[in-house]
Amino acid sequence: MILLASPSADTLASWKRGVSDFAQVFCADSLDALKLSLERSKAQILLLDHDLPGVANPSEIADLIKLSPEVKIVVFSGTLADEAEWEIFKSGVRGCCHKNIEPKLLSTVVTAVLQGELWMRRTLTCRLLDELGKIALDQSKAKQATSDLLASLTPREHEIATLIGNGESNKQIALRLAITERTVKAHLTEIFRKLDVSDRLKLALIVTGSLSTLDQT
Amino acid sequence: MQPITVAIADDDGGRRARFEHSLQAEQGIHVLADVVTSPDEMTANRRLGTRTNMSAIDNLVARIRRLKPRVLLADMKQCTDADCAMLVSLRRECPETLVVLLADETEPQEERVMQALAKGARGYLNLEADPLHISKAVHMVDRGEAWVPRQMLGKVMDQVLHWCHAASIEANLDPAC
Repeated sequence: MILLASPSADTLASWKRGVSDFAQVFCADSLDALKLSLERSKAQILLLDHDLPGVANPSEIADLIKLSPEVKIVVFSGTLADEAEWEIFKSGVRGCCHKNIEPKLLSTVVTAVLQGELWMRRTLTCRLLDELGKIALDQSKAKQATSDLLASLTPREHEIATLIGNGESNKQIALRLAITERTVKAHLTEIFRKLDVSDRLKLALIVTGSLSTLDQT
Repeated sequence: MQPITVAIADDDGGRRARFEHSLQAEQGIHVLADVVTSPDEMTANRRLGTRTNMSAIDNLVARIRRLKPRVLLADMKQCTDADCAMLVSLRRECPETLVVLLADETEPQEERVMQALAKGARGYLNLEADPLHISKAVHMVDRGEAWVPRQMLGKVMDQVLHWCHAASIEANLDPAC
Protein backbone atom coordinates (compact mmCIF):
# COMPACT_ATOMS: atom_id res chain seq x y z
CA MET A 1 0.00 0.00 0.00
CA ILE A 2 1.22 3.48 -0.89
CA LEU A 3 0.53 6.62 1.04
CA LEU A 4 0.81 10.01 -0.68
CA ALA A 5 0.98 13.17 1.40
CA SER A 6 0.99 16.67 -0.02
CA PRO A 7 -0.97 19.87 0.58
CA SER A 8 -1.27 20.34 -3.18
CA ALA A 9 -4.02 18.57 -5.10
CA ASP A 10 -1.99 18.89 -8.31
CA THR A 11 1.01 17.14 -6.77
CA LEU A 12 -1.17 14.33 -5.45
CA ALA A 13 -2.80 13.89 -8.86
CA SER A 14 0.55 13.76 -10.62
CA TRP A 15 1.95 11.25 -8.13
CA LYS A 16 -1.17 9.13 -8.51
CA ARG A 17 -0.50 8.90 -12.23
CA GLY A 18 3.04 7.74 -11.51
CA VAL A 19 2.06 4.99 -9.09
CA SER A 20 -1.06 3.82 -10.94
CA ASP A 21 0.52 0.35 -11.33
CA PHE A 22 0.45 -0.23 -7.61
CA ALA A 23 -2.51 -1.54 -5.69
CA GLN A 24 -4.08 0.62 -3.00
CA VAL A 25 -3.05 4.23 -3.04
CA PHE A 26 -4.15 6.54 -0.22
CA CYS A 27 -3.83 10.30 -0.10
CA ALA A 28 -3.46 12.71 2.79
CA ASP A 29 -3.49 16.49 2.42
CA SER A 30 -2.57 17.45 5.98
CA LEU A 31 -0.26 16.24 8.72
CA ASP A 32 -3.17 15.09 10.87
CA ALA A 33 -4.70 13.07 8.06
CA LEU A 34 -1.27 11.59 7.37
CA LYS A 35 -0.70 10.60 11.00
CA LEU A 36 -4.10 8.99 11.14
CA SER A 37 -3.42 6.96 7.98
CA LEU A 38 0.01 5.94 9.24
CA GLU A 39 -1.43 4.65 12.49
CA ARG A 40 -4.37 2.87 10.94
CA SER A 41 -2.96 1.45 7.74
CA LYS A 42 -0.02 -0.77 7.03
CA ALA A 43 1.50 1.46 4.40
CA GLN A 44 4.78 0.11 3.00
CA ILE A 45 5.86 3.38 1.48
CA LEU A 46 5.06 7.04 1.98
CA LEU A 47 5.70 9.70 -0.63
CA LEU A 48 6.01 12.87 1.41
CA ASP A 49 5.90 16.42 0.12
CA HIS A 50 8.47 18.43 2.07
CA ASP A 51 6.10 21.42 1.84
CA LEU A 52 3.44 19.67 3.89
CA PRO A 53 3.08 21.88 6.98
CA GLY A 54 4.68 20.19 9.98
CA VAL A 55 7.39 18.09 8.31
CA ALA A 56 9.97 20.76 7.44
CA ASN A 57 12.19 19.70 10.32
CA PRO A 58 13.98 16.31 10.08
CA SER A 59 12.99 15.52 13.66
CA GLU A 60 9.35 15.82 12.63
CA ILE A 61 9.96 13.25 9.92
CA ALA A 62 11.63 11.01 12.51
CA ASP A 63 8.42 11.28 14.57
CA LEU A 64 6.42 10.00 11.60
CA ILE A 65 8.75 6.99 11.38
CA LYS A 66 8.14 6.33 15.07
CA LEU A 67 4.41 6.17 14.36
CA SER A 68 4.94 3.50 11.75
CA PRO A 69 8.46 2.04 11.88
CA GLU A 70 7.93 -0.22 8.88
CA VAL A 71 7.07 2.54 6.44
CA LYS A 72 9.71 3.60 3.95
CA ILE A 73 9.60 7.34 3.35
CA VAL A 74 10.63 9.18 0.21
CA VAL A 75 10.76 12.96 0.56
CA PHE A 76 9.99 15.26 -2.38
CA SER A 77 11.29 18.80 -2.25
CA GLY A 78 12.73 21.59 -4.28
CA THR A 79 16.50 21.67 -4.64
CA LEU A 80 18.08 21.34 -1.21
CA ALA A 81 21.63 21.97 -0.04
CA ASP A 82 23.66 18.80 0.56
CA GLU A 83 23.68 19.46 4.29
CA ALA A 84 19.88 19.82 4.53
CA GLU A 85 19.29 16.71 2.45
CA TRP A 86 21.76 14.70 4.49
CA GLU A 87 19.93 15.71 7.69
CA ILE A 88 16.69 14.43 6.15
CA PHE A 89 18.36 11.11 5.38
CA LYS A 90 19.61 10.90 8.95
CA SER A 91 16.03 11.06 10.16
CA GLY A 92 15.63 7.64 8.53
CA VAL A 93 14.05 8.31 5.14
CA ARG A 94 14.91 5.98 2.26
CA GLY A 95 14.95 8.50 -0.53
CA CYS A 96 14.94 12.15 -1.56
CA CYS A 97 13.70 13.32 -4.96
CA HIS A 98 13.01 16.54 -6.73
CA LYS A 99 9.39 17.63 -6.64
CA ASN A 100 9.01 17.85 -10.38
CA ILE A 101 9.82 14.21 -10.93
CA GLU A 102 8.49 12.52 -14.06
CA PRO A 103 5.58 10.19 -13.21
CA LYS A 104 7.44 7.42 -15.05
CA LEU A 105 10.57 7.81 -12.93
CA LEU A 106 8.40 7.93 -9.83
CA SER A 107 7.36 4.32 -10.26
CA THR A 108 11.04 3.34 -10.64
CA VAL A 109 11.84 5.11 -7.38
CA VAL A 110 8.98 3.40 -5.56
CA THR A 111 10.00 -0.04 -6.79
CA ALA A 112 13.66 0.51 -5.91
CA VAL A 113 12.94 1.81 -2.41
CA LEU A 114 10.53 -1.04 -1.72
CA GLN A 115 13.38 -3.42 -2.59
CA GLY A 116 15.60 -1.82 0.05
CA GLU A 117 17.57 0.49 -2.20
CA LEU A 118 18.52 3.96 -1.05
CA TRP A 119 17.40 6.67 -3.48
CA MET A 120 20.11 9.21 -2.86
CA ARG A 121 21.64 11.52 -5.42
CA ARG A 122 25.13 10.46 -6.34
CA THR A 123 26.80 13.60 -5.01
CA LEU A 124 25.64 12.72 -1.50
CA THR A 125 26.92 9.14 -1.59
CA CYS A 126 30.46 10.14 -0.63
CA ARG A 127 29.01 11.92 2.37
CA LEU A 128 27.39 8.65 3.37
CA LEU A 129 30.68 6.76 3.04
CA ASP A 130 32.57 9.48 4.95
CA GLU A 131 30.05 9.18 7.75
CA LEU A 132 30.43 5.39 7.78
CA GLY A 133 34.22 5.74 7.93
CA LYS A 134 34.05 8.31 10.71
CA ILE A 135 31.74 6.20 12.87
CA ALA A 136 33.83 3.07 12.31
CA LEU A 137 36.97 4.97 13.30
CA ASP A 138 35.33 6.40 16.43
CA GLN A 139 34.21 2.93 17.35
CA SER A 140 37.60 1.35 16.98
CA LYS A 141 39.21 4.22 18.91
CA ALA A 142 36.65 3.86 21.69
CA LYS A 143 37.23 0.12 21.78
CA GLN A 144 40.98 0.69 22.04
CA ALA A 145 40.53 3.25 24.81
CA THR A 146 38.31 0.85 26.72
CA SER A 147 40.73 -2.03 26.47
CA ASP A 148 43.60 0.28 27.50
CA LEU A 149 41.64 1.29 30.58
CA LEU A 150 40.72 -2.29 31.44
CA ALA A 151 44.38 -3.17 31.09
CA SER A 152 45.20 -0.65 33.82
CA LEU A 153 43.30 -2.75 36.38
CA THR A 154 45.17 -5.17 38.62
CA PRO A 155 44.37 -8.88 38.06
CA ARG A 156 42.13 -8.85 41.14
CA GLU A 157 40.30 -5.70 40.05
CA HIS A 158 39.88 -7.17 36.61
CA GLU A 159 38.40 -10.30 38.12
CA ILE A 160 35.90 -8.27 40.14
CA ALA A 161 35.02 -6.04 37.18
CA THR A 162 34.28 -9.15 35.12
CA LEU A 163 32.00 -10.50 37.84
CA ILE A 164 30.17 -7.16 37.97
CA GLY A 165 29.78 -7.56 34.20
CA ASN A 166 28.10 -10.91 34.88
CA GLY A 167 25.63 -9.11 37.11
CA GLU A 168 26.84 -10.44 40.44
CA SER A 169 26.24 -8.54 43.68
CA ASN A 170 29.00 -7.50 46.08
CA LYS A 171 27.91 -10.27 48.41
CA GLN A 172 28.12 -12.95 45.70
CA ILE A 173 31.53 -11.67 44.65
CA ALA A 174 32.78 -11.69 48.25
CA LEU A 175 31.62 -15.29 48.66
CA ARG A 176 33.10 -16.43 45.39
CA LEU A 177 36.50 -14.86 46.01
CA ALA A 178 36.52 -15.65 49.73
CA ILE A 179 37.06 -12.02 50.73
CA THR A 180 34.94 -9.63 52.79
CA GLU A 181 32.30 -7.43 51.22
CA ARG A 182 34.28 -4.47 52.51
CA THR A 183 37.27 -5.54 50.46
CA VAL A 184 35.04 -5.92 47.38
CA LYS A 185 33.79 -2.37 47.94
CA ALA A 186 37.32 -1.07 48.31
CA HIS A 187 38.30 -2.74 45.04
CA LEU A 188 35.20 -1.32 43.36
CA THR A 189 36.03 2.20 44.50
CA GLU A 190 39.44 1.82 42.93
CA ILE A 191 37.94 0.38 39.70
CA PHE A 192 35.44 3.26 39.46
CA ARG A 193 38.28 5.72 39.93
CA LYS A 194 40.49 4.13 37.28
CA LEU A 195 37.69 3.82 34.75
CA ASP A 196 36.14 7.13 35.69
CA VAL A 197 32.65 5.69 36.08
CA SER A 198 30.19 6.34 38.87
CA ASP A 199 28.01 3.25 39.03
CA ARG A 200 28.09 -0.52 38.54
CA LEU A 201 25.68 -0.51 35.60
CA LYS A 202 28.07 1.55 33.52
CA LEU A 203 30.96 -0.60 34.68
CA ALA A 204 29.03 -3.72 33.67
CA LEU A 205 28.30 -2.25 30.23
CA ILE A 206 31.94 -1.33 29.72
CA VAL A 207 33.14 -4.78 30.74
CA THR A 208 30.67 -6.52 28.45
CA GLY A 209 31.72 -4.23 25.61
CA SER A 210 28.34 -2.62 25.06
CA LEU A 211 29.49 0.75 26.30
CA SER A 212 32.75 2.37 25.40
CA THR A 213 34.36 4.81 27.79
CA LEU A 214 34.58 7.51 25.11
CA ASP A 215 30.81 7.57 24.65
CA GLN A 216 30.16 8.71 28.16
CA THR A 217 28.90 12.20 28.56
CA MET B 1 41.32 19.27 -18.84
CA GLN B 2 43.82 17.08 -17.01
CA PRO B 3 43.23 13.38 -17.63
CA ILE B 4 42.30 11.24 -14.64
CA THR B 5 45.28 9.13 -13.65
CA VAL B 6 44.39 5.51 -12.97
CA ALA B 7 46.53 2.71 -11.61
CA ILE B 8 45.54 -0.94 -11.52
CA ALA B 9 46.83 -3.34 -8.90
CA ASP B 10 45.98 -6.89 -9.82
CA ASP B 11 48.09 -10.02 -9.33
CA ASP B 12 46.64 -11.50 -12.47
CA GLY B 13 48.82 -9.97 -15.18
CA GLY B 14 46.53 -10.93 -18.03
CA ARG B 15 43.53 -9.35 -16.43
CA ARG B 16 45.50 -6.26 -15.52
CA ALA B 17 46.62 -5.89 -19.12
CA ARG B 18 43.03 -6.22 -20.26
CA PHE B 19 41.84 -3.52 -17.85
CA GLU B 20 44.72 -1.24 -18.78
CA HIS B 21 44.05 -1.76 -22.42
CA SER B 22 40.36 -0.96 -22.23
CA LEU B 23 40.91 2.11 -20.05
CA GLN B 24 43.72 3.43 -22.22
CA ALA B 25 41.28 3.71 -25.08
CA GLU B 26 39.11 6.05 -22.99
CA GLN B 27 39.16 9.80 -23.42
CA GLY B 28 40.28 11.69 -20.33
CA ILE B 29 41.86 8.70 -18.62
CA HIS B 30 45.58 8.12 -18.30
CA VAL B 31 46.65 4.66 -17.16
CA LEU B 32 49.81 4.47 -15.08
CA ALA B 33 51.85 1.31 -15.47
CA ASP B 34 54.33 -0.28 -13.05
CA VAL B 35 52.05 -0.63 -10.05
CA VAL B 36 52.29 -4.26 -9.11
CA THR B 37 55.41 -6.00 -7.94
CA SER B 38 57.07 -8.12 -10.60
CA PRO B 39 56.09 -11.81 -10.84
CA ASP B 40 59.46 -12.88 -9.36
CA GLU B 41 58.95 -10.72 -6.32
CA MET B 42 55.44 -12.02 -5.94
CA THR B 43 56.57 -15.65 -5.90
CA ALA B 44 59.33 -14.84 -3.46
CA ASN B 45 56.83 -13.11 -1.20
CA ARG B 46 54.43 -16.02 -1.31
CA ARG B 47 57.19 -18.42 -0.34
CA LEU B 48 58.14 -16.36 2.68
CA GLY B 49 54.61 -16.27 4.04
CA THR B 50 52.76 -13.80 6.23
CA ARG B 51 55.56 -11.51 7.31
CA THR B 52 56.16 -10.53 3.72
CA ASN B 53 52.47 -10.05 3.17
CA MET B 54 52.99 -6.93 5.20
CA SER B 55 55.95 -5.92 3.09
CA ALA B 56 53.87 -6.57 -0.03
CA ILE B 57 51.43 -3.99 1.32
CA ASP B 58 54.22 -1.54 2.11
CA ASN B 59 55.57 -2.14 -1.34
CA LEU B 60 52.31 -1.33 -3.05
CA VAL B 61 51.68 1.67 -0.82
CA ALA B 62 55.17 3.01 -1.57
CA ARG B 63 54.57 2.68 -5.31
CA ILE B 64 51.18 4.35 -5.10
CA ARG B 65 52.69 7.18 -3.07
CA ARG B 66 55.23 7.69 -5.81
CA LEU B 67 52.80 7.41 -8.74
CA LYS B 68 50.00 9.40 -7.05
CA PRO B 69 47.15 8.07 -9.20
CA ARG B 70 43.80 9.78 -8.75
CA VAL B 71 42.03 6.41 -8.85
CA LEU B 72 43.44 3.03 -7.87
CA LEU B 73 41.60 -0.08 -8.99
CA ALA B 74 42.73 -2.67 -6.50
CA ASP B 75 42.14 -6.39 -6.72
CA MET B 76 40.68 -7.41 -3.37
CA LYS B 77 38.57 -10.39 -4.15
CA GLN B 78 37.99 -11.47 -0.60
CA CYS B 79 38.20 -8.17 1.29
CA THR B 80 40.31 -9.98 3.90
CA ASP B 81 41.86 -8.39 6.98
CA ALA B 82 45.07 -7.90 5.03
CA ASP B 83 43.10 -6.08 2.34
CA CYS B 84 41.59 -3.84 4.99
CA ALA B 85 45.02 -3.15 6.45
CA MET B 86 46.09 -2.14 2.96
CA LEU B 87 43.14 0.26 2.68
CA VAL B 88 44.02 1.83 6.00
CA SER B 89 47.63 2.44 5.03
CA LEU B 90 46.62 3.71 1.60
CA ARG B 91 44.27 6.21 3.18
CA ARG B 92 46.98 7.32 5.58
CA GLU B 93 49.86 7.44 3.12
CA CYS B 94 48.09 8.44 -0.08
CA PRO B 95 44.99 10.38 0.93
CA GLU B 96 44.54 11.89 -2.52
CA THR B 97 44.21 8.46 -4.16
CA LEU B 98 40.67 7.10 -4.34
CA VAL B 99 40.44 3.32 -4.11
CA VAL B 100 37.92 1.23 -6.01
CA LEU B 101 37.93 -2.47 -5.26
CA LEU B 102 37.82 -5.12 -7.94
CA ALA B 103 35.66 -7.78 -6.39
CA ASP B 104 35.13 -11.35 -7.48
CA GLU B 105 32.41 -12.20 -9.95
CA THR B 106 30.43 -13.79 -7.17
CA GLU B 107 28.72 -11.20 -5.03
CA PRO B 108 31.18 -10.27 -2.28
CA GLN B 109 30.11 -10.78 1.30
CA GLU B 110 28.14 -7.86 2.62
CA GLU B 111 30.00 -7.36 5.91
CA ARG B 112 33.30 -7.53 4.10
CA VAL B 113 32.22 -4.86 1.66
CA MET B 114 30.88 -2.78 4.53
CA GLN B 115 34.22 -3.08 6.29
CA ALA B 116 36.13 -2.08 3.16
CA LEU B 117 33.87 0.94 2.63
CA ALA B 118 34.31 1.93 6.28
CA LYS B 119 38.08 1.74 5.76
CA GLY B 120 37.91 4.20 2.90
CA ALA B 121 37.17 2.33 -0.34
CA ARG B 122 35.09 4.55 -2.61
CA GLY B 123 33.34 1.71 -4.37
CA TYR B 124 33.64 -1.72 -5.88
CA LEU B 125 33.49 -3.20 -9.33
CA ASN B 126 32.88 -6.66 -10.56
CA LEU B 127 36.06 -8.14 -12.00
CA GLU B 128 34.12 -9.16 -15.06
CA ALA B 129 32.56 -5.72 -15.40
CA ASP B 130 31.88 -4.27 -18.79
CA PRO B 131 34.80 -1.92 -19.72
CA LEU B 132 32.20 0.81 -20.17
CA HIS B 133 31.22 0.44 -16.53
CA ILE B 134 34.81 0.63 -15.42
CA SER B 135 35.45 3.94 -17.15
CA LYS B 136 32.14 5.29 -15.91
CA ALA B 137 33.09 4.28 -12.37
CA VAL B 138 36.47 5.99 -12.72
CA HIS B 139 34.82 9.23 -13.82
CA MET B 140 32.23 9.15 -11.05
CA VAL B 141 34.72 8.37 -8.31
CA ASP B 142 36.99 11.13 -9.64
CA ARG B 143 34.07 13.54 -9.19
CA GLY B 144 33.89 12.53 -5.55
CA GLU B 145 30.94 10.18 -5.86
CA ALA B 146 30.77 6.64 -4.60
CA TRP B 147 30.41 3.68 -6.97
CA VAL B 148 28.22 1.47 -4.84
CA PRO B 149 24.91 -0.17 -5.84
CA ARG B 150 21.82 1.47 -4.34
CA GLN B 151 20.98 -1.75 -2.54
CA MET B 152 24.31 -1.62 -0.72
CA LEU B 153 23.87 2.11 -0.04
CA GLY B 154 20.64 1.16 1.74
CA LYS B 155 22.60 -1.22 3.95
CA VAL B 156 25.28 1.40 4.62
CA MET B 157 22.59 3.89 5.66
CA ASP B 158 21.08 1.26 7.99
CA GLN B 159 24.48 0.75 9.58
CA VAL B 160 25.11 4.48 10.04
CA LEU B 161 21.65 4.98 11.58
CA HIS B 162 22.09 1.95 13.80
CA TRP B 163 25.35 3.30 15.20
CA CYS B 164 23.98 6.82 15.62
CA HIS B 165 21.00 5.37 17.44
CA ALA B 166 23.15 3.21 19.72
CA ALA B 167 25.31 6.22 20.55
CA SER B 168 22.29 8.32 21.46
CA ILE B 169 20.91 5.59 23.73
CA GLU B 170 24.25 5.38 25.54
CA ALA B 171 24.38 9.15 25.91
CA ASN B 172 20.96 9.07 27.55
CA LEU B 173 21.78 6.32 30.03
CA ASP B 174 20.52 7.42 33.38
CA PRO B 175 23.36 7.18 35.90
CA ALA B 176 20.84 6.59 38.70
CA CYS B 177 19.47 3.33 37.39
